[in-house]
Amino acid sequence: MAEVVDLLAVFPDLEPAANAIENLRSIGVHDDCMNIISGIPVTEAMLGRPNAWSNVPRIAVGGSILGFGVGYFLAFVAPYLYPYPIQVGTQAYVPGPPSVVVLFEMTMLGMLLSTFLGVFLDSYFPNYRPMKYVAEISDGKIAILVECSHVDEKKITDTLKKSGAESVNPAEAQHL
Amino acid sequence: MAEMKQHTDAHAGGHHGGHTEEHFREKHLMLDPLPRGQMNDMVMESMTEPPTWRYWTVFAILSVIVAYGLFYSWGKMIVEGLGIAGVNRPAYWGIFLVNTVFWIGISHAGTFISAILRVFKAEFRRPFTRAAELMTTFGLVQAGFSIFMHMGRVWLAYWLMPYPNERMLWPNMHSPLSWDLLAITTYLLSSTMYLFLPLIPDVAMARDKSTGWRKTLYKTLALGFRGTEGEWAHLRNAMNIFAFAIIPVMFSVHTIVSWDFAAATRPGWNSTIFGPYFVVGALHSGMGAVIVVLAIIRATMKHMKYFIRPEHFDAIGKLMLIISMAWAYFFFNDYMVQWYGGDKWTKQLLHFHEAGPMGWMWFAMLIFNIAIPWAILWNPKWRSTPWLVSIVGILINFGMWFERYIIIPVSLTINRMPFTWRMYTPGVEIPLGIGTLAFFALLYMAASKLIPLIPVWEVQEGQMAHKLTKYGRETVVTVSELE
Amino acid sequence: MATVTDLKITELKLSEAEGGKWGMVIDQDICTGCQACVAACAMENNVSFVGDVDSGYGRSMHWIRIERFWEGEYPEVKMTPNQPMMCQQCGSATCEPVCPAFATVHSQAEQLNLQVYNRCVGTRYCANNCPYQVRSFNWRDYERPEPLPNQLNPDVTVRTRGVMEKCTFCIQRIHKAQDNAKAEGREVVDGEFTTACAQACPASAITFGRVDDSESLVSQLIKHGHGVKHLEELGTLPNVTYFKGG
Repeated sequence: MAEVVDLLAVFPDLEPAANAIENLRSIGVHDDCMNIISGIPVTEAMLGRPNAWSNVPRIAVGGSILGFGVGYFLAFVAPYLYPYPIQVGTQAYVPGPPSVVVLFEMTMLGMLLSTFLGVFLDSYFPNYRPMKYVAEISDGKIAILVECSHVDEKKITDTLKKSGAESVNPAEAQHL
Repeated sequence: MAEMKQHTDAHAGGHHGGHTEEHFREKHLMLDPLPRGQMNDMVMESMTEPPTWRYWTVFAILSVIVAYGLFYSWGKMIVEGLGIAGVNRPAYWGIFLVNTVFWIGISHAGTFISAILRVFKAEFRRPFTRAAELMTTFGLVQAGFSIFMHMGRVWLAYWLMPYPNERMLWPNMHSPLSWDLLAITTYLLSSTMYLFLPLIPDVAMARDKSTGWRKTLYKTLALGFRGTEGEWAHLRNAMNIFAFAIIPVMFSVHTIVSWDFAAATRPGWNSTIFGPYFVVGALHSGMGAVIVVLAIIRATMKHMKYFIRPEHFDAIGKLMLIISMAWAYFFFNDYMVQWYGGDKWTKQLLHFHEAGPMGWMWFAMLIFNIAIPWAILWNPKWRSTPWLVSIVGILINFGMWFERYIIIPVSLTINRMPFTWRMYTPGVEIPLGIGTLAFFALLYMAASKLIPLIPVWEVQEGQMAHKLTKYGRETVVTVSELE
Repeated sequence: MATVTDLKITELKLSEAEGGKWGMVIDQDICTGCQACVAACAMENNVSFVGDVDSGYGRSMHWIRIERFWEGEYPEVKMTPNQPMMCQQCGSATCEPVCPAFATVHSQAEQLNLQVYNRCVGTRYCANNCPYQVRSFNWRDYERPEPLPNQLNPDVTVRTRGVMEKCTFCIQRIHKAQDNAKAEGREVVDGEFTTACAQACPASAITFGRVDDSESLVSQLIKHGHGVKHLEELGTLPNVTYFKGG
């Protein structure tokens, strides 16, 4: 087993980065071993990459179900928890239309809170440990992070440089 | 591009079929790309630039107003009771509620711009989504202040929260005020989260470009964001969900606020159209406020003339005009049906609105909300002029504040028990109201120095998507869908 | 299958069932407007003294008030009968559902509209939504100089600033009468007790009692005369009947 190659290549633009990904794939680097870092959202399709998996929508669905549950509790269960259910006006203990309002608000709150939380869970936020990164990325560069154990480091470096990388360096985790 | 220029030169004076690329660049931010690094530096400079003496003067004045108007006056009112305010029988709700509705209205603009315009891919939104979304969050803070001030025993406000307690007595979900609490809480939390999500990549950029305490601040706020494929995917997904889901939340919030009035058994209040009427009214004042804020940002902050251009005032101006028309439609609808109903108390109330001591306010409302916007905003040149549309925006906000004042204390004056009719004269509500306004401005000023007001990555994304294309002799702007 | 007529009958029965338990009859024709009821009510129920300034500004805290109206323009002024106005103890009260804290609720036992002072947070929504405008709010902590605290009624809570209050039909007297009757192993007799306002009225314009007992004086009066209930068209099912011009 070869040593793990861990490189960070910086590209000036979209096109060379897309080429580099293609070339890396042709020399046997698997898509799973690459990660693209960019300062503006670059879709996977632009770079010819498989779609990134996100749990956020599922977490949001879970959250809305939970929120609905809380709403259900407030609207349908809570009125009966007081030892003597309280009558107001001539309305029923559980009023019809107002319960819809409560269910709606709590469902939406559950959905949006969990969506927000989902981003944190999926992206491992907050994360203040040192990470592999270069600051130029936020100025528009696109970086390819290659972590590969089955292809020779030199071969990868050459491919990246030939594809137009501005720099190829061993990726070093640093404090952001 | 040289050929194109020649082409237009050759036809100069003939017809207007072709515009030069310079013309487009100057006009449209989306067609005027700058290198990413340079744009980042501009945004960083606009916020890190040392504040001028004018900034500090305004800041100090606002701080004094907040300290006296908001905190001291409120404290005094808590100690002495609501007696020092102007509320009485029958105007049990006064300017406190006017301000609550007003500030929730202001907050609607942010969501309208950053959610509805995002969903409909209105490209002009890009540079000012954050400026508008900040108004949502800060506006809701003021709304919260205003509604808590109004409570007789504010120290017991937590009784309205649903929490398990010894007696298992939960809030009364029959009450529109309870729905209000749920809706405003939902809206405040979700709009704050929706403000924060698109901010992450920008504070990550700021982190990479700053030192000292700012570095610590941005590092903390950026949460370790690097911009990996996964991070972008999660963010994109989340923002998509937010953009769609926050729209019904926004509508529900102001509809529920309107139900506080519409659900009551009172002449003038018990109207089924109040929901949409209030939502449109909220957008009316919100849009007016956005344009004022944008004009101030553009005039006072460095590099903002690049990001916020006449085209944006033009676009918001058009929205203001449409919303003004919609408001007029709802107002007339509400008025017409109430008038036709012929109920003697409603008749009395409508007469009181127009011919009573506050009649001037009723007419000013119509002039500020309808006449002036229609007279000015139809003209593309006028509505692209920042100072002019700002004045329209300010007047609309006066008009909308008047509208709420007429709906709340003025309408409360008239009820079915003529013996209790009595005018309302504001007391400590005035410093408190000015205090919320000052606090809003203060928060906004502080934020403008602490977080990037321009969502740089969204602007960049938009610029990537825009292109000039030639169809025959004409050069036009085309937008591609990148997402 | 239910027809339209059936539906109407059900509705009628419903409002009969909600006819209430305690009720009041006020004869405006014999009311002299002497304000004795107002004073008695304030003494009985520990109502604060607001003072002239606040009172003039619409902050009077009377649980019962005498409304005076006139017709015509000065000097051709004609007085209309005085109208004592207090909480109508609605069977379907609009003030109840709008309180977010359950501070104003319906007593199923006494069919009265209760105000729970220590639960009130002071949103004042109930007062806005009361078509009769009979709720009083404690805008301040009003002073009660010595020796006035000595005359406070120990059966009634003294309210603090920021709290809503209103006529209770002297529920403390109702309870006392019920307790006495229970101790003596009997039912409460009609006329055994009455509210402070009714007790104080020199003209006996106010009569209080059980409206669900057809033998009681109030029921007899209601049956006898052509009384009106105020703003009945709103569906609030008020329990105070007014006689005027009879």
